[in-house]
Amino acid sequence: MTRICKIFLCATLAVLAVWQLPWCYAFLTTKATPNSFVMYSSLLGDFILTRYEEGDGIVRRDVAGRAYSEAETDSLLPMFYMRQLVADERFPDTLFGVPVSPREVQNTSFNFRMRPSAVNAPQTGIYFLLESMPKRVELEMPDDAFRFTHAGIEFITMETNAADAEKSARFTRMLAQKGFAFPPRLVSGNPTTMKDYDNGYLLLDARGRLFHLKQTAGQPYVKALTLPEGVEAEHVFLTEFRDRKALGFLTDAEHRLYVVRADGSVVRTGLPAYDPERDDLTIIGNMFDWTVKIASRGVTHYYALRADDYALLKTYDVPTDSGEIFGLSFTSPYDRYVRPRF
Amino acid sequence: MTAILECKHLTHYYGKRKIYEDLSFEVPRGRILGLLGKNGTGKTTTINILSGYLKPRAGECRIFGENIQTMAPSMRSRIGLLLEGHVQYQFMNIVQIEKFYSAFYPGQWRREAYYELMNKLRVAPGQMIARMSNGQRSQVALGLILAQNPELLILDDFSLGLDPGYRRLFSDYLRDYARAEDKTVFLTSHIIQDMERLVDDCIIMDYGRILTQQPVARLLGTLRRYTCRVPEQYVPDLPEEFYHPSVIRGRMETCSFLPPADVERRFAELQVPCTDLTSELMNLEDAFIGLTGKY
Amino acid sequence: MLKAIFYKEWIKLRWYMLLALIVTTAVAGYCLLRADRAIELRGAGHIWEVMVLKDAVFIDLLRFVPLLAGILAALVQFMPEMQRKCLKLTLHLPCPQQRMVFAMLAAGVAMLVACFAVNFAVMTAWLSAVLPAELVTNVLSAAAPWYLAGVAGYLLAAWVCLEPAWKRRVLNLAVAALIVRAYFLAPVPRAYNDFLPWLALYTLALSLLAWISVARFKAGCQD
Repeated sequence: MTRICKIFLCATLAVLAVWQLPWCYAFLTTKATPNSFVMYSSLLGDFILTRYEEGDGIVRRDVAGRAYSEAETDSLLPMFYMRQLVADERFPDTLFGVPVSPREVQNTSFNFRMRPSAVNAPQTGIYFLLESMPKRVELEMPDDAFRFTHAGIEFITMETNAADAEKSARFTRMLAQKGFAFPPRLVSGNPTTMKDYDNGYLLLDARGRLFHLKQTAGQPYVKALTLPEGVEAEHVFLTEFRDRKALGFLTDAEHRLYVVRADGSVVRTGLPAYDPERDDLTIIGNMFDWTVKIASRGVTHYYALRADDYALLKTYDVPTDSGEIFGLSFTSPYDRYVRPRF
Repeated sequence: MTAILECKHLTHYYGKRKIYEDLSFEVPRGRILGLLGKNGTGKTTTINILSGYLKPRAGECRIFGENIQTMAPSMRSRIGLLLEGHVQYQFMNIVQIEKFYSAFYPGQWRREAYYELMNKLRVAPGQMIARMSNGQRSQVALGLILAQNPELLILDDFSLGLDPGYRRLFSDYLRDYARAEDKTVFLTSHIIQDMERLVDDCIIMDYGRILTQQPVARLLGTLRRYTCRVPEQYVPDLPEEFYHPSVIRGRMETCSFLPPADVERRFAELQVPCTDLTSELMNLEDAFIGLTGKY
Repeated sequence: MLKAIFYKEWIKLRWYMLLALIVTTAVAGYCLLRADRAIELRGAGHIWEVMVLKDAVFIDLLRFVPLLAGILAALVQFMPEMQRKCLKLTLHLPCPQQRMVFAMLAAGVAMLVACFAVNFAVMTAWLSAVLPAELVTNVLSAAAPWYLAGVAGYLLAAWVCLEPAWKRRVLNLAVAALIVRAYFLAPVPRAYNDFLPWLALYTLALSLLAWISVARFKAGCQD
């Protein structure tokens, strides 16, 4: 017995060592690696890398290494540095033959970030459906929340913590009518009032089909969206960008990224691969081009996409030191679960 | 006579400090053996080894013929253990503690022996042991051992912290009990006075070794104190059979197991410049000091 | 004989357990009361929102309370055994020593679990009235590793407390602190859900450590 106890203690000590020692090592040896800020310039037809260099301060170069001044960079990225150009009275009237205004730039630009830790996180299963056509200008949080069950959607009045049978039945009926199979595999929405408008939720039903659900004037709005032939949707992200051109993004089993357009069409982008469960995605988009950054283990990919058809314009890869050393850990930057992993 | 308790070639060190080497002794059935020694000579170490709470560096102890390190748990019901300072569960009262222990000794527990002793104590039934005097606690500990009614009693320094009345009470009670019931007792004490009335045999320990091991009656019948006059500046240099010779103001004092005639002859051989050689038998305490020295 | 062991542990622990029950339930009750106030002031909707969107659980105050309750339980139970080496008395009883040691630990764990169960019952009862099952689960699943840490804290404190040598005791304490860290890593509620059964098994296995201390005590280890 004493032997078993000692073996248990030794095993515990070994686990603690492979857990804590790499952590200590990483803590002591980690130094800040200079990070480049990379943006695609349609005017230049190349990426511009802005970074801090020892001795030179902040420098801006293209991929070939040619340096640009701050003012030149502002001009090469007019969408991104719009406010600076406006302040300097240098903002152009037209770009690529298209008339542009600061207001338009503001309305068509967006940022989108999706971390694996947000995708790989425990779900509570309680959602809020806002009114997408509020009587007042401002969005308001609803008085009820909803959940999905195997049989339908259930609205719960928060003040009383009791189900709203009538509303639940109404929404369930509508979803069922549109062929929705309960319960959904995935629910994506942004239940917040800090946005310009509300687009409800993008849902993947039990059979993996894509639906759009929102509430307009208290009534359910449900639309079944058709996925391109052979596409098996895995993740969806409802976006609610200002220009209202898109409902959201979608990835499939082959890690391809699609844009779900406002009209319900699903269009494949030129991105070679994006795995929401492993890669950190950032998109900085404007009316002409999108700069897409996909940080995966060991390499960061930068892609330039054309804004209207999402065609791939250019690629730039930066190998990164993943900074990972062998060891045991219970938490991970890639998810929000606690479990042992190597 | 069969040995109830037997220790062979015990050797123990604390770190590099030797406690003793090759210590052997046995306690025959029905005898009371006292282990006497000054503080730090290894009395508690021996008790710890005997009760299984210390693994000696070498050697082994057997009780009822079984190695104490591998002894079956049920054998422990035949051994009564009194810890140094009569330690008992402080958080219980006398009723609770009796109830607790009795569950472990079905068939042998003598409830009345315990309560006979408790009735003499002026403690409330609900009074916790933590709030009793040392003397009262010693009676509780004794009462529990008497109720357990073991064949062998191992008592570690039972006199510690007791005033003379309780010491006397404890040793008398214990002696009568052991004699009447033919119990075997192994005990230690640093107060020697009580032992003379109590023990049959004694082991006197010095640092790292046994000085003597024999029945008390024989010890007190043979060990003598010798005193004589010597010149003021005389520095005694006597062989081992003379214990701790010391000279104070022209008087030399030493102890020896040799009879007076032999001592006289040895002193003559050794050319000890002594006059007025006298000898006397001693009580156990004086004998103990004579053998172990005053320092 | 085991009944007698449980009797002894009960005598040691009963008042402490009553206190632990009152204090832990009071802290849990205070957390619930604060949530109740928030509902009154800002409406149930606000509470639901922050719970869903911000992973709030409203019982953060409770985080280290079970751990503390567990550690103190071990101290209350085993300090009297170590005081003047009382443990020798226990180990001298004519009953297999391992059985006695594990029975002592089982008594402590059982009492702690009973105390924690009352906490859970109170929280479940109150929360179920104002929150949907999903959010109740959120709260309870956030609390689960903390309560498990209470049991782990108890068993580890017993290990440290029963250790006879001070140097080793300090070492054990450091190891125990690292082990306990593993119960407080949750970034969000439900983060432990899949791992929790394994962690619970491991937690119970921590009782093995106490036997190492007792074995060392028996061998007479000391500084």
